[in-house]
Amino acid sequence: CKILRSYTLEHIEERARLLEDATNCFHRCKNDFAVKQTEEQVKLMRIQRRLEDDSGRSYADLSLQATLHQLILERNSAWVERLRKDFKVPDKRFWILKINALAYGEDWVELERF
Amino acid sequence: MGSGAAHLHLGKLNLSILRDFYRREFLECIDKCVGTKALVWDDGLTGPFGLIAEASMLKEQHEVERMFRLEASGLPSSNVQNIIFITRPRLNLMEIIAQCLLSEEMKGGFVRKEFYLVFVPRKSLLCEKKLKEQGVYGSFASVEEFNLGLIPFDSDLLSMEMEEAYRECYLENDFTSMFFAAQSLMTIQALYGSIPYIYGKGDCAKQVVDMMRRMKMEMGSVEPQITPQIDNLLIIDRTVDLLTPLLSQLTYEGLIDEVFNITNTNVKLPPEKFTTAEEKKNAKEESLSEPKKFILNSADELYAELRDKNFNAVGIIVSRKAKTITAEFDERHSAKTVGEMKQFVSKLPHLQAMRASLGIHTSIAELIKEFTDSDGFLDSLRCQQELINGIDTDKVNSYIEDCIARQENLTKVLRLICIQSLCNDGLKPKVLEYYKREIIQTYGFEHLITLSNLEKSGFLRPHSARTYQAVRKTMRLIVEDINEQTPTDIAYVYSGYAPLSVRLAQTLARPGWRSITEVLNLLPGPKVEEVQQIPMGLRKRRASVTSSQSSMGEQKLTLVFFLGGVTQAEVAALRFLAQQDDGGTDYVIATTSIITGSRLLKALQEKIE
Repeated sequence: CKILRSYTLEHIEERARLLEDATNCFHRCKNDFAVKQTEEQVKLMRIQRRLEDDSGRSYADLSLQATLHQLILERNSAWVERLRKDFKVPDKRFWILKINALAYGEDWVELERF
Repeated sequence: MGSGAAHLHLGKLNLSILRDFYRREFLECIDKCVGTKALVWDDGLTGPFGLIAEASMLKEQHEVERMFRLEASGLPSSNVQNIIFITRPRLNLMEIIAQCLLSEEMKGGFVRKEFYLVFVPRKSLLCEKKLKEQGVYGSFASVEEFNLGLIPFDSDLLSMEMEEAYRECYLENDFTSMFFAAQSLMTIQALYGSIPYIYGKGDCAKQVVDMMRRMKMEMGSVEPQITPQIDNLLIIDRTVDLLTPLLSQLTYEGLIDEVFNITNTNVKLPPEKFTTAEEKKNAKEESLSEPKKFILNSADELYAELRDKNFNAVGIIVSRKAKTITAEFDERHSAKTVGEMKQFVSKLPHLQAMRASLGIHTSIAELIKEFTDSDGFLDSLRCQQELINGIDTDKVNSYIEDCIARQENLTKVLRLICIQSLCNDGLKPKVLEYYKREIIQTYGFEHLITLSNLEKSGFLRPHSARTYQAVRKTMRLIVEDINEQTPTDIAYVYSGYAPLSVRLAQTLARPGWRSITEVLNLLPGPKVEEVQQIPMGLRKRRASVTSSQSSMGEQKLTLVFFLGGVTQAEVAALRFLAQQDDGGTDYVIATTSIITGSRLLKALQEKIE
């Protein structure tokens, strides 16, 4: 399973493919949790790539949390909702995140609406 | 002997003997090359070596003209005859050395210089191969090794300064550091006599004892002809007690270590508090922003008193000391006769030193207080107390959840989760997975590896047999009413929690391990008990006068060796035991490194570029 480390170091978009290899390795050693997480990571990377194409801003190497943070700042609520559902972000963490992000972006109007 | 080490011989065991031994070996090592020399230091070694041989002494007596740091940028020019590289056996360092040599050749091959290489603590085939690959191995006039083992930190504290030992043993299954530990114990026995009784608990402890037995056999019949000065050796493997280092230490020294990281008895502190207004005016901008460095050891009388106290007691002692010193200064007004004046003047240097150290510690205490008063610290402390008391440990803890949501320092979050896991004998699979998922989503996917490292090394694990509750009860780990000012139990170092490791030492001294066989079976790893036969003539006679403090009676001396690190709070707890009159045992503490929970976990985290 240690193979994973070298994959994370690679820089190009080929990472997704390498991560899929890793998923297979995890499968073989029956590490279900790691399989799922790796798959989700691939999914996240694909979405980030698409967002990048749409908006021209870079989302590479951000965690899910950081991606959401940036999307809230950009008021891209469609994607925020979608990511939140797809990755099953717990409500509590999501609301703290949203309040922080709004406050950070000084979007007081939106903050009022809670 | 040398200056700055006067406090070493004050303890029960004269540790300056050990220090001088290492110093002699080191000087022999560098004196092998004749003429002026420059030493090139691997950064990780300057601290430990500073405790053995002072720079000034090397310069005056051993023709060491220059000292450099080993850097990729190459060596500054100098006109010494010999250049000695002193380094740990690490591959990345070998590359830097090779670069230095190559650039040195470029600069001018005709300047006659000799190069030497000293490995600490040991040569490594891999490193030598690396140097050969780089084509520079032949440039060395000689390649030596200098076996630095336990470095005396204080009159009762020795450390090998191997931060990575835990990771190496339990993650990478690399037991080299245990070999060094065994070897340094052999050195100790050569200097202070064989230790008659050896106890140990944990896998690594067994390994070390086995290695020592083998080394002894290899030496054959050459026994050290010294009356044993150490009665017992207790080897504790960190895996036996993983919980203790994760909790927040609450002694003065422990807190300094947690907040500012003490390295090789030195601590660097933000300078604002320590410069007077006048100095500020004179000093340049840059010197103000540079952290100030302090040496913390028992040579400082006040620090020796403060270091092991619960932080809540520190304020009181400091203010009381301040009063007595002011009172003593005021004596000069009452001094009338010449004799009295003379007496006062003779006390003056001591008083001034006391006042200076009082100033320093007031400032340090203020810095620490800022930290301990912060909500983050208090909340996490409350959370820890709940967990060690076994409250709701099998559910997702809402405070930990909040910390993740607020994206607080990852190490802090991991520390709390690991505490929960250890107090609950592993987490329910659902809870564990929830935490892991939250961490990956919040801090990033790369931490998957860190998490799996923690699982491999025993910090996090799914549910297993219940043992914590039983151990907690029999060993009295939770003590309800503790007195922080004048403690009556070791639990004061964590304000209500007694470190399991120290309880083991305490029980061993009295009434003995036989009384807790059940608990020992619950704890991980095998138990070791060995007796080394001491020849009749060398045995301690009853009430002999081996130590000058014969009035102390039959005080036994126990060397406690922590494999995988020890915290300052545990050291404090052992010192507390040593001071108890009815304990009957004095302690000298040795360890692979001095740790805090954060440093322990950081060593297990995977670094990703």
